[in-house]
Amino acid sequence: MRKKERKWIVLFLLPVCLLFVVFFAVPLGMVFVQSLFDYRLLPNKFEFIGFGNYAKLFLRDPKFLPVLKNTLLWILIHCIGHVALGSALAFVLYKKPRGWKFVRVVYMIPNIISQSAIAMIFVNMYNPQFGAVNQFLKAIGLEKLMHNWLFDMSTAFPAITMTWFLFAGYTTTLVLAQCLSTDETVIEAARVDGASGFQIDRLVMFPLVKEMIGTTVIMAATYMLQMFSMIYITTGGGPGSATTNLPLYLYSNMKSNNYGYASTIGVVIIIVGFLTMRIIQRIFGMNKEEVA
Amino acid sequence: MKKHTSAGRRTAWFFAYLFMALCVAVAVFPIIWVILSSFKSNQEILSNGLSWPTQWSFDGYRQALEMAPIFQYFLNSLIVTVLSTALNVLALSMAGYVFAKKQFRGKNLLFSILSLSMVIPTTALLSPIYVTITKLGLYDTKAALVLVYAALSMPISLMILRSTFAGVPKELEEAAYIDGAGFLRTFFSVMMPCARGGIASASVLAFLEGWNEFTFALLLTSSGNVRTLPLSLSYFTSQFSFNYTAMFAAITIAVIPSIIVFTVFSEQVNASIVAGSVKG
Repeated sequence: MRKKERKWIVLFLLPVCLLFVVFFAVPLGMVFVQSLFDYRLLPNKFEFIGFGNYAKLFLRDPKFLPVLKNTLLWILIHCIGHVALGSALAFVLYKKPRGWKFVRVVYMIPNIISQSAIAMIFVNMYNPQFGAVNQFLKAIGLEKLMHNWLFDMSTAFPAITMTWFLFAGYTTTLVLAQCLSTDETVIEAARVDGASGFQIDRLVMFPLVKEMIGTTVIMAATYMLQMFSMIYITTGGGPGSATTNLPLYLYSNMKSNNYGYASTIGVVIIIVGFLTMRIIQRIFGMNKEEVA
Repeated sequence: MKKHTSAGRRTAWFFAYLFMALCVAVAVFPIIWVILSSFKSNQEILSNGLSWPTQWSFDGYRQALEMAPIFQYFLNSLIVTVLSTALNVLALSMAGYVFAKKQFRGKNLLFSILSLSMVIPTTALLSPIYVTITKLGLYDTKAALVLVYAALSMPISLMILRSTFAGVPKELEEAAYIDGAGFLRTFFSVMMPCARGGIASASVLAFLEGWNEFTFALLLTSSGNVRTLPLSLSYFTSQFSFNYTAMFAAITIAVIPSIIVFTVFSEQVNASIVAGSVKG
Protein backbone atom coordinates (compact mmCIF):
# COMPACT_ATOMS: atom_id res chain seq x y z
CA MET A 1 0.00 0.00 0.00
CA ARG A 2 2.65 2.53 1.04
CA LYS A 3 4.91 1.50 -1.78
CA LYS A 4 2.05 2.02 -4.18
CA GLU A 5 1.47 5.50 -2.80
CA ARG A 6 5.12 6.43 -3.28
CA LYS A 7 4.77 5.54 -6.95
CA TRP A 8 1.86 7.95 -7.26
CA ILE A 9 3.73 10.71 -5.44
CA VAL A 10 6.61 10.44 -7.88
CA LEU A 11 4.23 10.40 -10.81
CA PHE A 12 2.41 13.50 -9.52
CA LEU A 13 5.63 15.44 -9.09
CA LEU A 14 7.08 14.44 -12.43
CA PRO A 15 5.39 17.01 -14.74
CA VAL A 16 6.35 19.97 -12.55
CA CYS A 17 9.89 18.74 -12.12
CA LEU A 18 10.21 18.31 -15.90
CA LEU A 19 8.94 21.84 -16.52
CA PHE A 20 11.29 23.18 -13.87
CA VAL A 21 14.33 21.33 -15.18
CA VAL A 22 13.76 22.18 -18.85
CA PHE A 23 12.73 25.82 -18.46
CA PHE A 24 14.39 27.00 -15.25
CA ALA A 25 17.20 24.82 -13.95
CA VAL A 26 18.95 23.93 -17.21
CA PRO A 27 18.58 27.44 -18.72
CA LEU A 28 19.85 28.95 -15.48
CA GLY A 29 22.94 26.75 -15.63
CA MET A 30 23.32 27.46 -19.33
CA VAL A 31 23.21 31.23 -18.79
CA PHE A 32 26.20 31.03 -16.50
CA VAL A 33 28.07 28.60 -18.75
CA GLN A 34 27.30 30.47 -21.98
CA SER A 35 28.48 33.71 -20.41
CA LEU A 36 32.00 32.24 -20.28
CA PHE A 37 32.02 31.32 -23.95
CA ASP A 38 32.13 33.00 -27.30
CA TYR A 39 28.95 31.30 -28.42
CA ARG A 40 27.51 31.73 -31.91
CA LEU A 41 25.07 29.72 -34.03
CA LEU A 42 25.23 29.11 -37.78
CA PRO A 43 28.12 28.57 -38.08
CA ASN A 44 28.37 27.00 -34.68
CA LYS A 45 31.07 28.36 -32.44
CA PHE A 46 31.53 27.53 -28.78
CA GLU A 47 34.88 28.76 -27.57
CA PHE A 48 35.85 29.19 -23.92
CA ILE A 49 37.01 32.74 -23.20
CA GLY A 50 36.81 32.85 -19.40
CA PHE A 51 35.61 36.20 -18.19
CA GLY A 52 36.20 37.81 -21.58
CA ASN A 53 32.54 38.68 -22.04
CA TYR A 54 32.40 40.27 -18.60
CA ALA A 55 35.56 42.29 -19.22
CA LYS A 56 34.15 43.52 -22.49
CA LEU A 57 30.77 44.32 -20.96
CA PHE A 58 32.05 46.31 -18.01
CA LEU A 59 35.20 47.84 -19.44
CA ARG A 60 34.97 48.17 -23.19
CA ASP A 61 31.31 48.40 -24.10
CA PRO A 62 30.22 52.05 -24.30
CA LYS A 63 26.57 51.02 -24.55
CA PHE A 64 26.40 48.94 -21.40
CA LEU A 65 26.52 51.62 -18.70
CA PRO A 66 23.79 53.80 -20.25
CA VAL A 67 21.66 50.67 -20.67
CA LEU A 68 22.21 49.66 -17.04
CA LYS A 69 21.47 53.22 -15.95
CA ASN A 70 18.18 53.25 -17.91
CA THR A 71 17.15 49.96 -16.34
CA LEU A 72 17.94 51.04 -12.79
CA LEU A 73 16.33 54.45 -13.26
CA TRP A 74 13.16 52.84 -14.58
CA ILE A 75 13.08 50.40 -11.67
CA LEU A 76 13.50 53.29 -9.23
CA ILE A 77 10.81 55.45 -10.85
CA HIS A 78 8.42 52.52 -10.96
CA CYS A 79 9.03 51.38 -7.39
CA ILE A 80 8.50 54.87 -6.00
CA GLY A 81 6.21 56.92 -8.25
CA HIS A 82 4.09 54.19 -9.76
CA VAL A 83 3.49 52.39 -6.47
CA ALA A 84 2.78 55.69 -4.69
CA LEU A 85 0.18 56.54 -7.32
CA GLY A 86 -1.55 53.17 -7.09
CA SER A 87 -1.46 53.17 -3.29
CA ALA A 88 -2.84 56.72 -3.13
CA LEU A 89 -5.80 55.63 -5.21
CA ALA A 90 -6.33 52.62 -2.95
CA PHE A 91 -6.34 54.92 0.09
CA VAL A 92 -9.06 57.00 -1.54
CA LEU A 93 -11.12 53.99 -2.61
CA TYR A 94 -11.11 52.05 0.66
CA LYS A 95 -13.33 54.73 2.21
CA LYS A 96 -15.89 53.59 -0.37
CA PRO A 97 -16.77 56.90 -2.01
CA ARG A 98 -19.57 56.74 -4.55
CA GLY A 99 -18.43 54.86 -7.66
CA TRP A 100 -15.39 53.24 -6.04
CA LYS A 101 -16.10 49.83 -7.56
CA PHE A 102 -16.42 51.38 -10.99
CA VAL A 103 -13.08 53.15 -10.58
CA ARG A 104 -11.42 49.94 -9.44
CA VAL A 105 -12.62 48.04 -12.50
CA VAL A 106 -11.93 50.77 -15.06
CA TYR A 107 -8.48 51.63 -13.73
CA MET A 108 -7.50 47.98 -14.12
CA ILE A 109 -8.38 47.82 -17.83
CA PRO A 110 -4.99 49.02 -19.17
CA ASN A 111 -3.33 46.30 -17.09
CA ILE A 112 -5.58 43.54 -18.38
CA ILE A 113 -5.08 44.18 -22.09
CA SER A 114 -1.72 43.13 -23.43
CA GLN A 115 1.38 45.29 -23.16
CA SER A 116 1.76 45.16 -26.91
CA ALA A 117 -1.73 46.63 -27.36
CA ILE A 118 -0.91 49.47 -24.97
CA ALA A 119 2.34 49.98 -26.83
CA MET A 120 0.54 50.18 -30.18
CA ILE A 121 -1.97 52.62 -28.72
CA PHE A 122 0.87 54.87 -27.55
CA VAL A 123 2.73 54.61 -30.85
CA ASN A 124 -0.34 56.33 -32.25
CA MET A 125 -0.92 58.69 -29.33
CA TYR A 126 2.63 60.00 -29.79
CA ASN A 127 2.50 60.11 -33.58
CA PRO A 128 3.88 63.50 -34.64
CA GLN A 129 1.18 64.13 -37.27
CA PHE A 130 -2.09 62.80 -35.93
CA GLY A 131 -1.29 61.64 -32.37
CA ALA A 132 -3.56 62.82 -29.58
CA VAL A 133 -0.68 64.41 -27.66
CA ASN A 134 0.37 66.78 -30.42
CA GLN A 135 -3.22 67.40 -31.52
CA PHE A 136 -4.04 68.43 -27.97
CA LEU A 137 -1.08 70.81 -27.76
CA LYS A 138 -2.13 72.33 -31.06
CA ALA A 139 -5.71 72.72 -29.89
CA ILE A 140 -4.66 74.71 -26.83
CA GLY A 141 -2.17 76.81 -28.79
CA LEU A 142 1.05 75.29 -27.50
CA GLU A 143 2.35 74.30 -30.93
CA LYS A 144 5.90 75.06 -29.91
CA LEU A 145 5.80 72.17 -27.44
CA MET A 146 4.99 69.65 -30.18
CA HIS A 147 7.57 66.91 -30.56
CA ASN A 148 8.21 63.69 -32.32
CA TRP A 149 7.96 62.29 -28.82
CA LEU A 150 9.33 58.78 -29.25
CA PHE A 151 12.14 59.63 -31.66
CA ASP A 152 13.42 62.87 -30.25
CA MET A 153 16.52 62.32 -28.13
CA SER A 154 15.31 64.67 -25.41
CA THR A 155 11.78 63.28 -25.02
CA ALA A 156 12.04 59.56 -25.80
CA PHE A 157 12.86 58.41 -22.27
CA PRO A 158 10.12 60.35 -20.44
CA ALA A 159 7.61 59.67 -23.23
CA ILE A 160 8.14 55.94 -23.00
CA THR A 161 8.07 56.02 -19.21
CA MET A 162 4.56 57.46 -19.37
CA THR A 163 3.33 54.43 -21.31
CA TRP A 164 3.45 52.36 -18.12
CA PHE A 165 3.91 54.80 -15.26
CA LEU A 166 0.28 55.87 -14.91
CA PHE A 167 -1.29 52.43 -15.08
CA ALA A 168 -1.00 51.26 -11.49
CA GLY A 169 -4.07 49.03 -11.46
CA TYR A 170 -2.30 46.04 -9.93
CA THR A 171 -0.98 48.11 -7.03
CA THR A 172 -4.39 49.67 -6.42
CA THR A 173 -6.14 46.29 -6.51
CA LEU A 174 -3.71 44.67 -4.08
CA VAL A 175 -3.40 47.53 -1.59
CA LEU A 176 -7.15 48.13 -1.70
CA ALA A 177 -7.85 44.45 -0.99
CA GLN A 178 -5.56 44.65 2.02
CA CYS A 179 -7.23 47.87 3.24
CA LEU A 180 -10.67 46.33 2.92
CA SER A 181 -9.66 43.21 4.80
CA THR A 182 -8.73 45.15 7.94
CA ASP A 183 -11.12 45.16 10.84
CA GLU A 184 -13.43 48.16 10.58
CA THR A 185 -13.71 48.48 14.35
CA VAL A 186 -10.04 49.51 14.45
CA ILE A 187 -10.79 52.44 12.16
CA GLU A 188 -13.96 53.25 14.07
CA ALA A 189 -12.08 53.28 17.38
CA ALA A 190 -9.51 55.71 15.99
CA ARG A 191 -12.31 57.95 14.74
CA VAL A 192 -14.00 57.92 18.15
CA ASP A 193 -10.67 58.93 19.64
CA GLY A 194 -10.81 62.03 17.45
CA ALA A 195 -8.31 61.08 14.76
CA SER A 196 -8.73 62.93 11.47
CA GLY A 197 -9.09 61.08 8.18
CA PHE A 198 -5.50 61.77 7.28
CA GLN A 199 -4.24 60.62 10.68
CA ILE A 200 -6.17 57.37 10.32
CA ASP A 201 -4.64 56.79 6.89
CA ARG A 202 -1.15 57.54 8.09
CA LEU A 203 -1.07 56.06 11.59
CA VAL A 204 -3.56 53.20 11.47
CA MET A 205 -4.03 52.06 7.89
CA PHE A 206 -0.54 52.52 6.49
CA PRO A 207 1.20 50.22 9.00
CA LEU A 208 -1.46 47.58 8.34
CA VAL A 209 -0.85 47.57 4.60
CA LYS A 210 2.87 48.31 4.63
CA GLU A 211 3.87 44.74 3.87
CA MET A 212 1.44 44.54 0.95
CA ILE A 213 2.92 47.78 -0.40
CA GLY A 214 6.29 46.06 -0.10
CA THR A 215 4.95 43.18 -2.19
CA THR A 216 3.74 45.61 -4.86
CA VAL A 217 7.15 47.32 -4.86
CA ILE A 218 8.77 43.95 -5.56
CA MET A 219 6.26 43.35 -8.33
CA ALA A 220 7.00 46.80 -9.76
CA ALA A 221 10.74 46.12 -9.72
CA THR A 222 10.29 42.73 -11.39
CA TYR A 223 7.99 44.29 -13.99
CA MET A 224 10.54 46.94 -14.93
CA LEU A 225 13.50 44.58 -14.84
CA GLN A 226 11.69 42.39 -17.38
CA MET A 227 10.16 45.17 -19.47
CA PHE A 228 10.60 44.34 -23.13
CA SER A 229 7.55 44.47 -25.37
CA MET A 230 6.52 48.07 -24.84
CA ILE A 231 10.00 49.38 -25.64
CA TYR A 232 10.50 46.96 -28.50
CA ILE A 233 7.26 48.07 -30.17
CA THR A 234 7.44 51.82 -29.52
CA THR A 235 11.06 52.89 -29.98
CA GLY A 236 12.98 49.65 -30.41
CA GLY A 237 15.37 51.05 -27.80
CA GLY A 238 16.24 54.18 -29.75
CA PRO A 239 17.09 56.85 -30.56
CA GLY A 240 20.65 55.62 -30.15
CA SER A 241 20.30 53.61 -26.97
CA ALA A 242 18.31 56.28 -25.14
CA THR A 243 15.52 53.84 -24.28
CA THR A 244 17.35 50.51 -24.31
CA ASN A 245 17.19 48.45 -21.13
CA LEU A 246 18.92 45.20 -20.19
CA PRO A 247 16.38 42.75 -21.72
CA LEU A 248 16.32 44.71 -24.96
CA TYR A 249 20.10 44.82 -25.10
CA LEU A 250 20.24 41.10 -24.41
CA TYR A 251 17.79 40.48 -27.26
CA SER A 252 19.69 42.68 -29.72
CA ASN A 253 22.86 40.71 -28.97
CA MET A 254 21.03 37.47 -29.67
CA LYS A 255 19.86 38.91 -32.97
CA SER A 256 23.45 39.76 -33.88
CA ASN A 257 24.34 36.12 -33.19
CA ASN A 258 26.29 36.77 -30.00
CA TYR A 259 24.66 34.31 -27.63
CA GLY A 260 27.49 34.21 -25.11
CA TYR A 261 27.44 37.97 -24.71
CA ALA A 262 23.64 37.91 -24.44
CA SER A 263 23.91 35.43 -21.59
CA THR A 264 26.45 37.65 -19.85
CA ILE A 265 23.78 40.35 -19.84
CA GLY A 266 21.39 37.67 -18.55
CA VAL A 267 23.67 37.10 -15.58
CA VAL A 268 23.65 40.85 -14.92
CA ILE A 269 19.82 40.79 -14.99
CA ILE A 270 19.77 37.95 -12.46
CA ILE A 271 22.18 39.78 -10.15
CA VAL A 272 20.31 43.10 -10.44
CA GLY A 273 17.05 41.26 -9.71
CA PHE A 274 18.47 39.51 -6.67
CA LEU A 275 20.00 42.69 -5.20
CA THR A 276 16.89 44.80 -5.83
CA MET A 277 14.71 42.20 -4.14
CA ARG A 278 17.01 42.05 -1.11
CA ILE A 279 17.06 45.85 -0.78
CA ILE A 280 13.28 46.12 -1.01
CA GLN A 281 12.80 43.35 1.56
CA ARG A 282 15.21 45.12 3.89
CA ILE A 283 13.39 48.46 3.52
CA PHE A 284 9.95 46.97 4.13
CA GLY A 285 11.06 44.61 6.87
CA MET A 286 9.96 41.55 4.91
CA ASN A 287 12.56 39.19 6.24
CA LYS A 288 10.40 36.12 6.42
CA GLU A 289 9.86 35.77 2.70
CA GLU A 290 9.59 32.52 0.83
CA VAL A 291 13.10 33.08 -0.49
CA ALA A 292 15.28 30.70 1.42
CA MET B 1 -19.67 58.41 2.65
CA LYS B 2 -20.17 60.32 5.88
CA LYS B 3 -22.13 63.53 6.25
CA HIS B 4 -20.11 66.65 5.58
CA THR B 5 -19.07 68.05 8.92
CA SER B 6 -16.68 70.79 7.89
CA ALA B 7 -15.36 72.71 4.95
CA GLY B 8 -12.04 70.93 5.34
CA ARG B 9 -13.60 67.56 4.95
CA ARG B 10 -15.57 68.75 1.95
CA THR B 11 -12.39 69.97 0.24
CA ALA B 12 -10.77 66.62 0.98
CA TRP B 13 -13.65 64.84 -0.71
CA PHE B 14 -13.50 67.22 -3.64
CA PHE B 15 -9.87 66.32 -4.25
CA ALA B 16 -10.60 62.64 -3.70
CA TYR B 17 -13.24 62.68 -6.45
CA LEU B 18 -11.02 64.76 -8.72
CA PHE B 19 -8.23 62.22 -8.27
CA MET B 20 -10.58 59.34 -9.02
CA ALA B 21 -11.84 61.11 -12.13
CA LEU B 22 -8.28 61.71 -13.34
CA CYS B 23 -7.35 58.06 -12.83
CA VAL B 24 -10.39 56.94 -14.81
CA ALA B 25 -9.62 59.46 -17.56
CA VAL B 26 -6.00 58.32 -17.81
CA ALA B 27 -7.08 54.70 -18.05
CA VAL B 28 -9.80 55.07 -20.65
CA PHE B 29 -8.82 58.09 -22.77
CA PRO B 30 -6.19 56.30 -24.92
CA ILE B 31 -8.54 53.38 -25.58
CA ILE B 32 -11.52 55.58 -26.38
CA TRP B 33 -9.36 57.70 -28.68
CA VAL B 34 -8.32 54.57 -30.58
CA ILE B 35 -11.90 53.32 -30.84
CA LEU B 36 -13.21 56.69 -32.06
CA SER B 37 -10.40 56.98 -34.58
CA SER B 38 -11.26 53.56 -36.00
CA PHE B 39 -14.53 55.03 -37.32
CA LYS B 40 -12.95 58.06 -39.01
CA SER B 41 -11.56 58.39 -42.49
CA ASN B 42 -7.81 58.70 -42.98
CA GLN B 43 -8.33 62.34 -43.89
CA GLU B 44 -10.20 63.04 -40.68
CA ILE B 45 -7.60 61.30 -38.53
CA LEU B 46 -4.92 63.56 -39.97
CA SER B 47 -6.89 66.81 -39.88
CA ASN B 48 -8.74 66.72 -36.57
CA GLY B 49 -7.61 63.79 -34.48
CA LEU B 50 -9.36 64.83 -31.30
CA SER B 51 -12.85 65.39 -32.63
CA TRP B 52 -15.85 63.09 -32.75
CA PRO B 53 -16.15 61.20 -36.08
CA THR B 54 -18.30 63.19 -38.52
CA GLN B 55 -19.78 60.01 -39.88
CA TRP B 56 -19.43 56.54 -38.45
CA SER B 57 -17.92 54.17 -40.95
CA PHE B 58 -17.07 50.52 -40.56
CA ASP B 59 -14.77 50.53 -43.60
CA GLY B 60 -11.72 50.37 -41.33
CA TYR B 61 -12.90 47.10 -39.84
CA ARG B 62 -13.61 45.57 -43.23
CA GLN B 63 -10.18 46.59 -44.49
CA ALA B 64 -8.41 45.48 -41.32
CA LEU B 65 -9.87 41.99 -41.57
CA GLU B 66 -8.97 41.82 -45.26
CA MET B 67 -5.41 42.99 -44.74
CA ALA B 68 -4.49 40.94 -41.67
CA PRO B 69 -5.87 37.54 -40.62
CA ILE B 70 -6.72 38.84 -37.16
CA PHE B 71 -9.14 36.01 -36.43
CA GLN B 72 -6.41 33.50 -37.24
CA TYR B 73 -4.09 35.22 -34.72
CA PHE B 74 -6.93 35.35 -32.22
CA LEU B 75 -7.50 31.62 -32.67
CA ASN B 76 -3.77 30.89 -32.34
CA SER B 77 -3.70 32.82 -29.07
CA LEU B 78 -6.77 30.99 -27.83
CA ILE B 79 -5.37 27.53 -28.64
CA VAL B 80 -1.98 28.25 -27.10
CA THR B 81 -3.41 29.89 -24.00
CA VAL B 82 -6.10 27.29 -23.29
CA LEU B 83 -3.62 24.43 -23.64
CA SER B 84 -0.88 26.10 -21.59
CA THR B 85 -3.36 27.03 -18.86
CA ALA B 86 -4.75 23.48 -18.74
CA LEU B 87 -1.26 21.97 -18.65
CA ASN B 88 -0.10 24.40 -15.99
CA VAL B 89 -3.10 23.98 -13.71
CA LEU B 90 -3.22 20.19 -14.01
CA ALA B 91 0.50 19.75 -13.39
CA LEU B 92 0.56 22.21 -10.51
CA SER B 93 -2.61 20.83 -8.92
CA MET B 94 -0.97 17.41 -8.83
CA ALA B 95 2.19 18.83 -7.33
CA GLY B 96 0.32 21.17 -4.98
CA TYR B 97 -1.73 18.27 -3.64
CA VAL B 98 1.31 16.11 -2.99
CA PHE B 99 3.22 18.97 -1.36
CA ALA B 100 0.25 19.89 0.83
CA LYS B 101 -0.96 16.46 1.91
CA LYS B 102 1.74 13.83 1.52
CA GLN B 103 4.91 13.11 3.44
CA PHE B 104 8.04 11.99 1.62
CA ARG B 105 11.77 12.33 2.02
CA GLY B 106 13.30 15.55 0.67
CA LYS B 107 9.93 17.30 0.44
CA ASN B 108 11.04 20.63 1.87
CA LEU B 109 14.25 20.64 -0.12
CA LEU B 110 12.41 19.93 -3.37
CA PHE B 111 9.89 22.64 -2.60
CA SER B 112 12.62 25.21 -1.91
CA ILE B 113 14.32 24.30 -5.17
CA LEU B 114 11.08 24.67 -7.12
CA SER B 115 10.42 28.00 -5.36
CA LEU B 116 13.66 29.29 -6.87
CA SER B 117 11.69 29.71 -10.09
CA MET B 118 9.96 32.65 -8.39
CA VAL B 119 13.10 34.72 -8.14
CA ILE B 120 14.64 34.06 -11.56
CA PRO B 121 13.84 36.87 -14.00
CA THR B 122 12.82 34.90 -17.08
CA THR B 123 14.11 37.52 -19.52
CA ALA B 124 17.59 36.57 -18.33
CA LEU B 125 16.99 33.10 -19.75
CA LEU B 126 16.04 34.14 -23.29
CA SER B 127 19.19 32.82 -24.91
CA PRO B 128 19.24 29.34 -23.29
CA ILE B 129 15.49 28.86 -23.72
CA TYR B 130 15.80 29.76 -27.40
CA VAL B 131 18.62 27.25 -27.76
CA THR B 132 16.69 24.57 -25.83
CA ILE B 133 13.52 25.01 -27.89
CA THR B 134 15.52 24.94 -31.12
CA LYS B 135 17.38 21.78 -30.08
CA LEU B 136 14.06 20.13 -29.16
CA GLY B 137 12.93 20.86 -32.72
CA LEU B 138 10.08 22.99 -31.45
CA TYR B 139 11.08 26.34 -32.95
CA ASP B 140 8.12 28.09 -34.58
CA THR B 141 5.51 25.70 -33.20
CA LYS B 142 2.52 26.26 -30.95
CA ALA B 143 3.84 23.48 -28.70
CA ALA B 144 6.87 25.61 -27.81
CA LEU B 145 4.65 28.44 -26.60
CA VAL B 146 2.33 26.06 -24.72
CA LEU B 147 5.27 24.60 -22.79
CA VAL B 148 6.99 27.92 -22.11
CA TYR B 149 3.79 29.61 -20.95
CA ALA B 150 2.93 26.68 -18.70
CA ALA B 151 6.40 27.09 -17.19
CA LEU B 152 6.15 30.89 -16.85
CA SER B 153 3.05 30.55 -14.68
CA MET B 154 4.53 27.72 -12.66
CA PRO B 155 5.76 29.70 -9.62
CA ILE B 156 2.53 31.54 -8.94
CA SER B 157 0.32 28.46 -9.52
CA LEU B 158 2.54 26.38 -7.24
CA MET B 159 2.06 28.86 -4.38
CA ILE B 160 -1.69 29.24 -4.90
CA LEU B 161 -2.43 25.55 -5.33
CA ARG B 162 -0.27 24.26 -2.53
CA SER B 163 -1.96 26.56 -0.03
CA THR B 164 -5.39 25.73 -1.47
CA PHE B 165 -4.89 21.98 -1.06
CA ALA B 166 -3.43 22.53 2.38
CA GLY B 167 -6.73 24.18 3.33
CA VAL B 168 -8.86 21.17 2.35
CA PRO B 169 -9.82 19.26 5.53
CA LYS B 170 -7.88 16.06 6.07
CA GLU B 171 -11.05 14.19 6.99
CA LEU B 172 -12.38 14.40 3.45
CA GLU B 173 -9.30 12.69 2.09
CA GLU B 174 -9.36 10.00 4.78
CA ALA B 175 -13.07 9.37 4.23
CA ALA B 176 -12.41 8.84 0.53
CA TYR B 177 -9.68 6.29 1.28
CA ILE B 178 -11.92 4.47 3.77
CA ASP B 179 -14.60 4.30 1.08
CA GLY B 180 -12.05 2.43 -0.99
CA ALA B 181 -11.09 5.18 -3.43
CA GLY B 182 -7.56 4.93 -4.76
CA PHE B 183 -4.96 7.71 -5.04
CA LEU B 184 -6.20 8.92 -8.43
CA ARG B 185 -9.91 8.79 -7.58
CA THR B 186 -9.31 10.64 -4.31
CA PHE B 187 -7.42 13.34 -6.15
CA PHE B 188 -9.77 13.84 -9.07
CA SER B 189 -13.18 13.34 -7.48
CA VAL B 190 -12.62 14.55 -3.91
CA MET B 191 -9.61 16.89 -3.71
CA MET B 192 -9.89 18.74 -7.03
CA PRO B 193 -13.53 19.79 -6.48
CA CYS B 194 -12.67 21.00 -2.97
CA ALA B 195 -9.82 23.10 -4.36
CA ARG B 196 -11.81 24.73 -7.16
CA GLY B 197 -11.41 28.24 -5.72
CA GLY B 198 -7.63 28.07 -5.96
CA ILE B 199 -7.81 26.27 -9.29
CA ALA B 200 -9.96 29.12 -10.64
CA SER B 201 -7.48 31.74 -9.40
CA ALA B 202 -4.49 29.91 -10.84
CA SER B 203 -6.32 29.43 -14.15
CA VAL B 204 -7.20 33.10 -14.44
CA LEU B 205 -3.62 34.20 -13.80
CA ALA B 206 -2.13 31.57 -16.13
CA PHE B 207 -4.62 32.54 -18.81
CA LEU B 208 -3.78 36.25 -18.53
CA GLU B 209 -0.06 35.46 -18.69
CA GLY B 210 -0.41 33.39 -21.85
CA TRP B 211 -2.96 35.62 -23.52
CA ASN B 212 -0.79 38.74 -23.18
CA GLU B 213 2.73 37.30 -23.46
CA PHE B 214 4.92 38.90 -26.10
CA THR B 215 8.64 38.34 -25.59
CA PHE B 216 8.78 34.57 -25.97
CA ALA B 217 6.28 34.64 -28.82
CA LEU B 218 8.63 37.00 -30.64
CA LEU B 219 11.67 34.90 -29.82
CA LEU B 220 10.29 31.43 -30.50
CA THR B 221 8.02 31.86 -33.52
CA SER B 222 8.40 33.44 -36.92
CA SER B 223 5.63 32.34 -39.28
CA GLY B 224 2.14 33.73 -39.56
CA ASN B 225 0.33 30.48 -38.83
CA VAL B 226 1.59 30.30 -35.24
CA ARG B 227 1.57 34.06 -34.61
CA THR B 228 -0.32 35.06 -31.48
CA LEU B 229 -2.47 38.15 -31.10
CA PRO B 230 -0.03 40.23 -28.99
CA LEU B 231 2.77 39.47 -31.43
CA SER B 232 0.63 40.33 -34.43
CA LEU B 233 0.08 43.83 -33.02
CA SER B 234 3.74 44.67 -33.47
CA TYR B 235 3.38 44.06 -37.21
CA PHE B 236 0.45 46.45 -37.58
CA THR B 237 2.58 49.54 -38.23
CA SER B 238 4.20 48.04 -41.28
CA GLN B 239 1.19 45.97 -42.31
CA PHE B 240 -1.22 48.87 -42.50
CA SER B 241 1.45 51.47 -43.38
CA PHE B 242 -0.64 54.55 -44.17
CA ASN B 243 -4.10 53.11 -43.67
CA TYR B 244 -4.57 54.55 -40.19
CA THR B 245 -8.28 53.76 -40.07
CA ALA B 246 -7.58 50.06 -40.58
CA MET B 247 -4.81 50.11 -37.99
CA PHE B 248 -7.06 51.68 -35.37
CA ALA B 249 -9.75 49.15 -36.24
CA ALA B 250 -7.29 46.29 -35.90
CA ILE B 251 -6.15 47.50 -32.47
CA THR B 252 -9.77 47.83 -31.40
CA ILE B 253 -10.56 44.28 -32.54
CA ALA B 254 -7.56 43.06 -30.57
CA VAL B 255 -8.42 44.72 -27.25
CA ILE B 256 -12.23 44.68 -27.09
CA PRO B 257 -12.61 40.97 -26.21
CA SER B 258 -10.22 41.31 -23.25
CA ILE B 259 -12.03 44.39 -21.99
CA ILE B 260 -15.46 42.74 -22.22
CA VAL B 261 -14.36 39.50 -20.59
CA PHE B 262 -12.58 41.40 -17.83
CA THR B 263 -15.54 43.68 -17.12
CA VAL B 264 -17.85 40.68 -16.81
CA PHE B 265 -15.50 38.66 -14.60
CA SER B 266 -13.73 41.51 -12.82
CA GLU B 267 -14.57 40.19 -9.35
CA GLN B 268 -13.01 36.82 -10.13
CA VAL B 269 -9.96 38.43 -11.77
CA ASN B 270 -9.45 40.75 -8.79
CA ALA B 271 -9.74 37.85 -6.37
CA SER B 272 -7.19 35.89 -8.41
CA ILE B 273 -4.70 38.74 -8.46
CA VAL B 274 -5.00 39.05 -4.69
CA ALA B 275 -4.61 35.29 -4.26
CA GLY B 276 -1.50 35.39 -6.45
CA SER B 277 0.17 38.03 -4.31
CA VAL B 278 -0.11 36.08 -1.07
CA LYS B 279 3.00 33.98 -1.11
CA GLY B 280 3.06 30.50 0.38
